[in-house]
Amino acid sequence: MAKLVSLISGGIDSPVAAYLMLHQGVEIIAVHMDNRPFTDEKNLHKAMNLIRHLQHLTQRPIKTYVVPHGPNHIAFARNCERHLHCLFCRRMMYRIAERIAEKEGAVGILTGESLGQVASQTLQNLMVENLVIRIPVVRPLIGMDKVEIIDIARRIGTYEISTLPGLCCTIVPKKPATAARAGDILGEEQKLDLRVLIEKSLEGMYVLDPEAL
Amino acid sequence: MYSILKPCKTTAAFEAIPKEHFSLDFDRCEESLGKVCTIITNARFLLIVHDKCEVSIHNDGRLILKTDSENLAAEQAARIAGWLEGSSAIRKPRDRRGPATGILRTGK
Repeated sequence: MAKLVSLISGGIDSPVAAYLMLHQGVEIIAVHMDNRPFTDEKNLHKAMNLIRHLQHLTQRPIKTYVVPHGPNHIAFARNCERHLHCLFCRRMMYRIAERIAEKEGAVGILTGESLGQVASQTLQNLMVENLVIRIPVVRPLIGMDKVEIIDIARRIGTYEISTLPGLCCTIVPKKPATAARAGDILGEEQKLDLRVLIEKSLEGMYVLDPEAL
Repeated sequence: MYSILKPCKTTAAFEAIPKEHFSLDFDRCEESLGKVCTIITNARFLLIVHDKCEVSIHNDGRLILKTDSENLAAEQAARIAGWLEGSSAIRKPRDRRGPATGILRTGK
C-alpha cells in the first residue's frame, strides 16, 4: 500500500487532505510540527484529537510523530529576513518530513495547502518550497476554496475539532513574502547550519499515540 | 499604556493593544524583564516571557497573553506595562534612530 507522510497542524485543511487520501486507500504517517513557544499546547491536543478522529473514522491506525519546530523558528528569526519566515518554516518542515518518509518507506509528503489560503500560499512560494526535497508533495486541496474545504470538514466531523481554541503561530510576519525568489531564500538559509537544525529536530522527535492524550 | 484587551480570533488568548505607537528595543526589554520574570526566548522581533501566564511581546508593543482568563490577562498586561514604562526599552516614534547616546550619527 502506498504511504504518505501527512503534515497535520490542528487547523481545518490538513485533516481534510489526510482524510481524502485515506479514503483513496493511502496509508498515512502523521507528523505534527510543534511550534511552541510560538503557539500553545492546545494545538498539539487538537492535532492529536484530529488524528484520533481520523483513525476512528477510517478504522485504520495512524502512526504519529511530533517534531519540535520552535527552535528552528528561533534560529531563523534571529538570523534571517523576517518577511521570508514562512518560507523558511515550510522548507524546514518539508526537509524533516522527507527524512521521516525515508525512515518510514513513504513515497511523498501530504499537505493541506490550497492556493491563496494564506498570504504565503502562492504558486511561486510553493515552487520555492518544493526545491528542497526530491519526493513529491501531494496537495489534494490545492484548487479548492475555503467553503468547499469546510463542507468536507463538517461532513467528516473534523471541523468542530479544528475550530476549538488554539493559538495561531505568533511569529508569522505581518507582511509575509508572496513571491519569494529561490536565490534570496538560499542566501538567507546559508547563514545557518541547516543540517544541525534538522538533526536536532529529528533527535527531539517522538512518537505519540493519539489515543493516549 | 494598553487600551484594548480583546480575545484573539482563535479565543485561545487575549491581545493587548498599546494606546500609543512605540517600538521596543528587545535587548533592553530582555534585560529589564529578565529581572522580574522568566524569559522564554528572544526571537529578535518577538520576546516570549512567563510571569503570571506566558506572554508574547511584539516589537510594536502588542501583547498576546496566553490565558483563558480575562482578569489574569488584564493583570498581566498591567504588570508588563509597569515594567516597560520603568525601563529604557521603549522607543517613541521620534526616537526611531535609537536611544539617545550623546554621539552624533553621520550618514554615508
